[in-house]
Amino acid sequence: THLLSEHTVIDLPTGVVAFQMDTCDPKVSAIAVASGGHIYVYKNMRPFYKFTLPTLNIEPAELEVWNQAKEDKIDMSSMKEVLESIRTEVGESNLSSRSQRFLMLEPEELEEFVHVHKQFPLKRQTVVTCLSTMKKSMAEDDAVSCLVLGTENKDVYVLEPDAFTILAAMTVPSVPAFLNVTGLFDVEYRIIVACRDGILYTLKRGFKTGRLCVELLSQPVGLLRVKNTVVVGCMDQTLSCFSMKGRNLWTIKLESSIVAMETIDITYLGIQLIVIALSNGLIQLYQDKYLVDVVPAEDVVTGIKFGRYGREENTLIMTTRGGGLIIKILKRTAKFDPKNLTPGPPAAQHMKLSVPKKTKLFVDQTMHERENAVRMHRSFQHDLYRLRLNTARSYVKVLTSSLTPVSTGGSDPLKLSAQIQGLGPVFRLRLEIQNTSTDKPSTNLFFTFHCDVRIYRVDKTFIPIPFLAPGLLYSSATKVECVSELGISDVIKVFVLRENEGVPLITAIINMPISEGMMSSY
Amino acid sequence: MGLFSKLASLLGFKRKEASILVVGLDNSGKSTIINHFKSEEDKTIDIVPTVGLNVEKFKVKSLGFIAFDMSGQGRYRNLWEHYYQDVNGIIFVVDSSDSLRIIVAKDELDMMLQHKDIKDRNIPILFFANKMDLREALSSVKVSQALGLDNMKSKSWHICASNALTGEGLQEGVEWITDQLKYMVEQNKR
Ligand SMILES: Nc1nc2c(ncn2[C@@H]2O[C@H](COP(=O)(O)OP(=O)(O)OP(=O)(O)O)[C@@H](O)[C@H]2O)c(=O)[nH]1
Ligand SMILES: [Mg+2]
Repeated sequence: THLLSEHTVIDLPTGVVAFQMDTCDPKVSAIAVASGGHIYVYKNMRPFYKFTLPTLNIEPAELEVWNQAKEDKIDMSSMKEVLESIRTEVGESNLSSRSQRFLMLEPEELEEFVHVHKQFPLKRQTVVTCLSTMKKSMAEDDAVSCLVLGTENKDVYVLEPDAFTILAAMTVPSVPAFLNVTGLFDVEYRIIVACRDGILYTLKRGFKTGRLCVELLSQPVGLLRVKNTVVVGCMDQTLSCFSMKGRNLWTIKLESSIVAMETIDITYLGIQLIVIALSNGLIQLYQDKYLVDVVPAEDVVTGIKFGRYGREENTLIMTTRGGGLIIKILKRTAKFDPKNLTPGPPAAQHMKLSVPKKTKLFVDQTMHERENAVRMHRSFQHDLYRLRLNTARSYVKVLTSSLTPVSTGGSDPLKLSAQIQGLGPVFRLRLEIQNTSTDKPSTNLFFTFHCDVRIYRVDKTFIPIPFLAPGLLYSSATKVECVSELGISDVIKVFVLRENEGVPLITAIINMPISEGMMSSY
Repeated sequence: MGLFSKLASLLGFKRKEASILVVGLDNSGKSTIINHFKSEEDKTIDIVPTVGLNVEKFKVKSLGFIAFDMSGQGRYRNLWEHYYQDVNGIIFVVDSSDSLRIIVAKDELDMMLQHKDIKDRNIPILFFANKMDLREALSSVKVSQALGLDNMKSKSWHICASNALTGEGLQEGVEWITDQLKYMVEQNKR
């Protein structure tokens, strides 16, 4: 492909569409370019028509000021003052661009500016923000279509394709950024308008104003219609889908921000995909919320179109930031299968949780919590500190008396576990000890016990452990008899000591169970 | 071998007919090329895009051909493979002025070469780089590069630049494929 023709547009273009102007044969599409307050129409690669948006009403006070200026009846400083007061009254955007400019200038520039401009009649003109098309009365591919445009002045116009008169004018509460049109002008149509402030409105035939549809969480960067849903790409790197009623059907988070998006309608497969160009240079294809394909592009793609190109039905044409043009043709045998690629959000996200009704108790509790929040917090904090203090104290105690069943520090890392077997009055106390170091054996240790002699009698009060090889589990046991007849239980402490040392290495405290045999036998 | 002996008998003695498959993208000029070989009385004047396929018969150098003129439109391309099994030769037509879609042509060619009925058979393939008269047409060398024909080692192939409107280049190509078919028959006779 090569460049066929080039035209310069005076202002920055804000929208380009191809449309069918008339039914004359041969059917040649015209190209409409929106730029500033005008729409330039090209046909056969030649400029054909220029449509200018209707001028807007000017504040009478503003007009008055400029009339005075024309007759040199007003000096610069008072003129500035008056315009400023008008601005605070009606808002910046309701001033003419000339006054806006005037208020931005430095004091010394004012004189010249007024001198240059005062001769010309004051006009307030809005600019086109977005452009789209709508078939007029027939849905065929080559049927005549109207231009649909949104303006900075929050208007949406439908233009007659032949004479370029305004067929319908509608307003929305904020500045339109994207338009999506379905239906026929003469029959029934619906325009979805994504506004700059992140709100979607719908316009219908016969209505003058838009109906609020969705409030987005972020600014829209693209608007598509897929089957019966609206898909919006947002500035916060998300892609969301809404029903026509405005219900959020799904939202997915993307890895990078969206630069351009387009629908891919593959009729012979009967599927519609969403193609998204990301700022990291990837082109992602989604079927609903499922990623079905990823195509890397050499550069960041800034514009995407899908459709028939020449003889190829399914062609994806992309422009890149560096000014390149990429044409991709869909393979005849291509299949899009969402299953073999990473799926979207898990299904659980869409399950409705059955939240129970609020009970009276719950409501009371909530009220109570709301009223006494500070007190509750304080008492919670108080208790928390107490708990911490207690914990710390016990810990210190444990450390100082080696009351733990695991000794970590010191020369002998040991682990002790004790187990009581039997129902009583005679129990078996099983002890297991392990040297947890890797290479240091322990020598000359022994077990000894401490208990209330009125309740328990320990059979072997001294069990020597001459040698503990690292890692191995040693076990020994002793008989313990409950001698009390009161049916009470107590604790038995097990110590591991080294011969000739007074402080135990580790301690285990065993909570003895109540002796069950007591009740019957004795 | 069954096929070849059958072909041998067909070509050598009885009816002297070879079946060839004519494929290529839509608008490449397949029907126009075949029309050129038909006898004066059979020629059609205006050629419309083929729907499905047409079966045509013609004679070159005393060898009769049955040509399956396939439609190149995307939705009919899946018909091609049904004829792979029974053909003696293939003519692949490329619109050499359509440089954009040459990649699509390559894709279809690759799929054909990978097909089980084509892969392991030595079938002669004749390429026509058609529409050489057009200004933006690629040369036959460029076309063969674009199709990656140099990598196709397992088949005997030949490429000719052609103009189906005037018939330029067509004779050379078809003579090549006739020779190939005859040669194969000779080989199989021995
Ligand atoms: N300039 C030029 N035009 C050609 C040439 N060969 C064919 N055409 C034209 O290309 C168009 C398509 O030719 P067809 O023979 O119908 O193409 P086809 O490959 O049979 O197309 P399908 O049947 O749709 O697959 C016709 O308008 C032909 O006149 C050629 O060598 N040069
Ligand atoms: Mg044909």
